[in-house]
Amino acid sequence: MLVLVGHSLRRIRAALIVLGLLLAAFQFLLTQVAAYLMRQNAFGQLAELMPDFVRTAAGPSALGFMSYTGIVALGYFHPVIITALVGLMIAIATEPAGEVETRFVDLTLARPLRRLDVIARTLVVLVLAGGLMLALMVAGTWTGLTCCAPAQAERPSFGLVLSLAFSLATVMACWGGVALAIGSAARRRAVAGAVAGALALAAYLLDYLGRAWEPAFSMSRLSPFHYFEPMTLVMGQAFDARDAAMLLAIALAGTVAGCVTFSRRDI
Amino acid sequence: MVMTGDATPAIRVERLAKRYGRVEALKNVSFDVREGEIMGFLGLNGAGKTTTIRILLDLVRPTAGRAFVFGLDCHTRGLDARARIGYLPGELGFYGDMTGEATLAVLARLSGRAIDMRLQRELLDRLELSPRDLRRRVREYSTGMKRKLGIVQAFQADPPLLILDEPTEGLDPLMQEAVYQLLSDTRRRGRTVFMSSHVLPEVERVCDRIGLVRQGELVLASPVDEVRRLAARSVRVLFNEDVQSSGAAWPEGCEVLELAPRAWSLRVHGALGPLVAMVSSMPVQDIEVREPRLEDVVKRYYRDEAAS
Repeated sequence: MLVLVGHSLRRIRAALIVLGLLLAAFQFLLTQVAAYLMRQNAFGQLAELMPDFVRTAAGPSALGFMSYTGIVALGYFHPVIITALVGLMIAIATEPAGEVETRFVDLTLARPLRRLDVIARTLVVLVLAGGLMLALMVAGTWTGLTCCAPAQAERPSFGLVLSLAFSLATVMACWGGVALAIGSAARRRAVAGAVAGALALAAYLLDYLGRAWEPAFSMSRLSPFHYFEPMTLVMGQAFDARDAAMLLAIALAGTVAGCVTFSRRDI
Repeated sequence: MVMTGDATPAIRVERLAKRYGRVEALKNVSFDVREGEIMGFLGLNGAGKTTTIRILLDLVRPTAGRAFVFGLDCHTRGLDARARIGYLPGELGFYGDMTGEATLAVLARLSGRAIDMRLQRELLDRLELSPRDLRRRVREYSTGMKRKLGIVQAFQADPPLLILDEPTEGLDPLMQEAVYQLLSDTRRRGRTVFMSSHVLPEVERVCDRIGLVRQGELVLASPVDEVRRLAARSVRVLFNEDVQSSGAAWPEGCEVLELAPRAWSLRVHGALGPLVAMVSSMPVQDIEVREPRLEDVVKRYYRDEAAS
């Protein structure tokens, strides 16, 4: 199995390094933006520029966001970052489908290798790749906070940064699990990726709708993004273990479904 | 193909069936492959050859029946069974961005057996894959080079059983010759080969036995010599002067194709003795006999399938 892990990591190492460095640079950049706004005393002006309906919809978190900590934390729930990381998870988790499609799996599974090894390999690569991305993001944030934070800034604690990263990790794990379940049953990687991506987009929009439109709130519980509440952490609330448990449960269910499907299917 | 003796066959397939929705890909297929022999597995496209091979590798699960490799159930003891198999797929799924060298290295590490580098070197030399070729990315390989790389990865762990799907497809005649030689040497070292092929002269040349599947059913399983004997020999009798058929009954197994005054063309099933006795009193100049080819029998089965 380790041979497969090494093989997969070697094949995606360039993409991982580029994406990881970009994410770290983005986090570092946000600390610089936050420092700039702080020095310009611009947080108050930004809050005033915010339209009323946005302020109403966002509630107190809007004010939390318009702060040094809020801007620094933005990198852990910005849609572009979420898209990049969920996309990475989907790309990795659909590797079994890609190997079935290219027939590489014929060469590997014709050897003394269990089918579960293929799934376990994918899980290990998901964890390693996701962990590396988050570690580089945290490193980017921490470097920016350590070297360039204004003296008067109320810096987010290392614990808060780690909580934000963990919260993001649960979302990544959730979509990794969902994509693994789909990728284990599919014959074509593009189809598996497209289905998982479309599901993620629909779930994101459903959650957004639920937050912006009261009648849709109960429906939005169906979206995994409903259980991703990074702003509550920024606002100083404790980490909600139930939300994390829900997302990790989805990840686990997806993984189990992937294992069962891949073990039983014809290849 | 029935086993004789108590030895465990290299491959045993028992009443294998596979259904894809409404399509019956395999129907009640049973055969054995003895250790140390080369068995050719023949059939038209879609006849069930690849499905059988994939069941042996546990890539496809049968609807009914079981398959064994050296007595090990291919599903329940798949790991042990596959540790004894070297497999060359019909469609090679190499990653184009990997070099030939890296591909062989990864697949060698997954094989579960120590790789004898001398054997690997010998295989590469035989198939004319140079170190320079191996340093190139697979996407730059021609079809034939990919096939050669596929053959090396299948043979490099020196497994006791080789399952080869169209081993010479895409190879030039010289390389085909090298593969036949390799197969011959492999058999000499006591290894078993189970191969599918569409090239009938190749099967006739290298295989000890053949199994022929038609629409999911095994319709023929015999040693190549016996299969050949199923076909009639073409006989041409040439005379020194004009002769006429006496009107006497033709010997059993003789089929008349053409009767010219100085040449008869016949097809003879079985022994030639009765025919020779019949013409012995005639002014015979020569008798030309063309031995039947495997192709003649197999193509007859193929034609029957196409007709049905």
